[in-house]
Amino acid sequence: MSPDNLDIQNSLDKDLIASVTDLKVYFESKQGMVHSVDGVSFDIVDGEMMGLVGETGCGKSVTARTFMQLVQSPPGVLAGGNIKFRSKNIKNGSQVIDLLDLSENQIRELRGERIAMIFQDPGKALNPGLTIRTQVAEVFQEHRENDVLEKAGLKNKLSGVTEYFVKKYIKQEAGFLVTTLFKIPPLSTYKKKIDSGINRLVAEALEETQIPNPTKVMERYPHELSGGMKQRVMIAQAIACNPDLLIADEPTTALDVTVQARVLDLIKELQKRHKTSVLYISHDLSLVRRICDRIAVMYAGQIVETGDAETIFNQPKHPYTQGLINALPSMSHERGKLEAIEGIVPELIEPEPGCRFVSRCMRRKANCEEIDPKLKPISEVNKSHKVACLLYEA
Amino acid sequence: MQIRDYIIRRLMILPILIIGTSIIVFALTRIGGSPIGIYLSHEMSPAEVQEMKERFHLDKPVPVQYFYWIKGVSQGDLGWSGVASAPVVDVFPKKFAATMELAIAAGIVAVSLGIAMGTFAGARRNKISDHIIRVVSVSGASMPLFWFAILLLIIFWVWLGWFPIGRSDPNLFEAIPHPTGFYTIDALLAGNFSAFRDAIWHLILPAVALGYGATAIIARMMRSSLIEELQEDYVDAAKAKGLAERVVLKKHARRNALVPTVTVIGLTFGFLLQGTVVAEIIFRWPGLGRWMASAVLRGDQATIMTYVMFTSILFLFVNLVVDIIYAYLDRRVVLGD
Amino acid sequence: MKKNAQNAGIDEVNFNDSAFKVRLKRNLEILSNVLANPTTVLGLIIVILMLAMAIFAPVITEPNTPDPYQMPRDWKAARSAPLTPGHILGTTNRGGDVFYGVVWGARTSLKLSILVVTLTVVLGVIIGSVAGIVGGKVDEILMRIVDVFLSIPELIFALAIAAILGPSFTNIILALVIVFWVKYARIMRAQVIRIKQREYVDAAKIMGASKLQIYLKDILPNSFSPVMVQATLDMGNIVLVGATLSFIGLSEAGIAEWGVLVSEGQAGISAGRWWASTFPGLMVFLWALAFNLVGDGLRDVLDPRTETKR
Repeated sequence: MSPDNLDIQNSLDKDLIASVTDLKVYFESKQGMVHSVDGVSFDIVDGEMMGLVGETGCGKSVTARTFMQLVQSPPGVLAGGNIKFRSKNIKNGSQVIDLLDLSENQIRELRGERIAMIFQDPGKALNPGLTIRTQVAEVFQEHRENDVLEKAGLKNKLSGVTEYFVKKYIKQEAGFLVTTLFKIPPLSTYKKKIDSGINRLVAEALEETQIPNPTKVMERYPHELSGGMKQRVMIAQAIACNPDLLIADEPTTALDVTVQARVLDLIKELQKRHKTSVLYISHDLSLVRRICDRIAVMYAGQIVETGDAETIFNQPKHPYTQGLINALPSMSHERGKLEAIEGIVPELIEPEPGCRFVSRCMRRKANCEEIDPKLKPISEVNKSHKVACLLYEA
Repeated sequence: MQIRDYIIRRLMILPILIIGTSIIVFALTRIGGSPIGIYLSHEMSPAEVQEMKERFHLDKPVPVQYFYWIKGVSQGDLGWSGVASAPVVDVFPKKFAATMELAIAAGIVAVSLGIAMGTFAGARRNKISDHIIRVVSVSGASMPLFWFAILLLIIFWVWLGWFPIGRSDPNLFEAIPHPTGFYTIDALLAGNFSAFRDAIWHLILPAVALGYGATAIIARMMRSSLIEELQEDYVDAAKAKGLAERVVLKKHARRNALVPTVTVIGLTFGFLLQGTVVAEIIFRWPGLGRWMASAVLRGDQATIMTYVMFTSILFLFVNLVVDIIYAYLDRRVVLGD
Repeated sequence: MKKNAQNAGIDEVNFNDSAFKVRLKRNLEILSNVLANPTTVLGLIIVILMLAMAIFAPVITEPNTPDPYQMPRDWKAARSAPLTPGHILGTTNRGGDVFYGVVWGARTSLKLSILVVTLTVVLGVIIGSVAGIVGGKVDEILMRIVDVFLSIPELIFALAIAAILGPSFTNIILALVIVFWVKYARIMRAQVIRIKQREYVDAAKIMGASKLQIYLKDILPNSFSPVMVQATLDMGNIVLVGATLSFIGLSEAGIAEWGVLVSEGQAGISAGRWWASTFPGLMVFLWALAFNLVGDGLRDVLDPRTETKR
């Protein structure tokens, strides 16, 4: 899928699955360029769960969407940076590619196959007009036509023109005429076999996410299922092809509190079983601490602090992270007294230089308004714990 | 709310509307005076005139006349058409088939073109297609059909001579039986290809003229609802599965965008129906509309009443069907989430 | 005590003053928003040109005597092509000057649309208000009548009425009034019911305002914008339907009206005389287009939520 010379350009530490470097995504607006993501860098360790935490509008979802080139353009503009990704493609062995360099067709091959995504609101992310079966089936049809053929009992039994058209039909590439031909004999026998093959794959996928009665559920429309059930369907769809990287964009925010925990456990369990790397996006620091290995804290389009979950929690360095942790309700706090971070998030339209957090910072220094802090390791000992704050710059 | 309850409620209102319409239509014709004129001739004596009045119950009070009219209608007596010099019932089916053939052809033009244009403009959202669709849709709503039809006539009939006017070449259609009254279908049933071609050829110009306004309305609705759908999360989710742009557009977004468009398609049916009056005059199409136009000019009340009643009932039923389809398609609205 | 009262007085003056300023500012804002859309401005320009043509018709062309609304007939110059001296847009089969018809047609159309819009707005607003305010059985009956009126396609209904009343321009006006009032009744009723439920009307009730006061001060002004949008659109639609009725033959023959002229010009088409129908038809189109563009622009600014559903 990518030329060999890319491998030379793209090097990635052995233990990493993906690395984001200096990513900048802007949005055009009437008032000017909105710097939604402004120089974001972080790594995702292979097989681990990475938490990306920040307030609404800090750019975390945009960052996640950029992995799949799903940011609408216009108004979105990719202003710089790269995302290196190790694609463990079975055919070609593993190779490192820059996700932002890929053409539409190349990224399409990765979407849903090597990188999958779970959305915030399953009620909106499932098409209301199509059955669950139709929607989950699409992943297999797009990326696993051989599996479909095998389950349909048609593998190695077709040849020439028939095979060509059956594959086209499975991949939804057939035009109106061919699709119609598959509805009438003699091709309708193939359609029946393909359908039952797909049914089995879909049922297996739904079973994987502990959906009871998968064969019944798959004939339903989204509005006939509960929120938790819909999110399970989304998860089933996302892990159907056993991706290398799963992006979960606040997957529990839209759910009832009682369901949240179960969905969270499911994601964690699946991640462990399949050794999938996960980029978990949330505004909830305590939730992320519970399930993630590493955390990156984002504020106003930039990463302010990153490190492993326990370090961030026990020794937060950046004033913003400290504020976030202080704002969490905990046993040791007095009842009814929660600390909030004063002030509001600054406008991201053509931002001024200097630290973005300065207007709300309790510990600001004189030059905080002029100098952009860089994300740097806090000490020689723990290189993975980085912070972007002048307080810690020598 | 359940779809079934909704349909039942709609069906219950329907008779009220139909009776109301019939009262209005009847009252209107009686405001214009007694319709006795068309039954009389100068040679009749006063006694004979009185006899005619009694025969058609025109000596009774107007409300009583209404019930006689309804009774007649229910027995298949729609009155005498002065324009056609025949009972309305005898002339009606043939003319109806001609009008329906034209309206359906125009509907096909409008729906296919409107959806295609709306999808095109909605999917490639940029300034140029925005402006084009705006000009087309606003001009479509402002275009006088009689003018647009005459322009087409001047260009394609007078100047270029590409299309004929009228409904058919009589030489081709005299020999063919007319089981349906739809010339295209009759020609196909008779297996006469040149007659079929002739029928289609005669249809194109009036169908395009008649369909233009509806095309604009449908295109506009389709575009705005497609743009709305393309903003939805499920479109991104579909892309995230690796589906091709084409599949995302056609299988996911367009299908849902069609739901609100269906309502508009129902509304445009009334638009097409009333447009046939003008289109048939200009293209010399021997249908209900042209009949109505001459009935209007000559005060042929039986024809006017039948025509207005019939088109209103047709319009009501089409709207009912459209509402039911809409309720069925849009599960989000009716059944709630 | 006295000081307090004074203060209250000053406050009130200030309050009124600022309320006036707010309203003025809002109106200016609306105006600038309307003018920000180039297609709306285009529509406005055409509207102004049309109005100018209607008003200055006697200056542009010499009025026909005795009745200027009748087409002058120049039988010797019948069937002249455009650019003939004295007949810049040509003549019809019967010697009618197309240019005269185009210019005086604007006046006829203006007369028609203003009369019909005024009458329908008054009729619709009254009936809709009564239905909305009184409610109950009255509302139910009135709305069923509205439903029945809406179930007959517009043009066919107007055609039937005009036919029964007999062919004349006055009867076209009557027919259009009977058909077009319904929309205003619907809009008005919906507005009344919507506004009746708002808090400030409750507040006015608590303060002891009478029903009529509430209606005049709160409900009526707030219903202004949707009625205004519909009226602007109807200024175009009415000429469109009116011209169609004239084209079918429901006006007196020979009056200076665009639809009549198109119909008269139709006779020459097969012989290649395209002009007599084309120019007056174009005028109908431009008239309707202009008011539709302005109405659309107004709708976008005044009530951005409603998408065009027609």
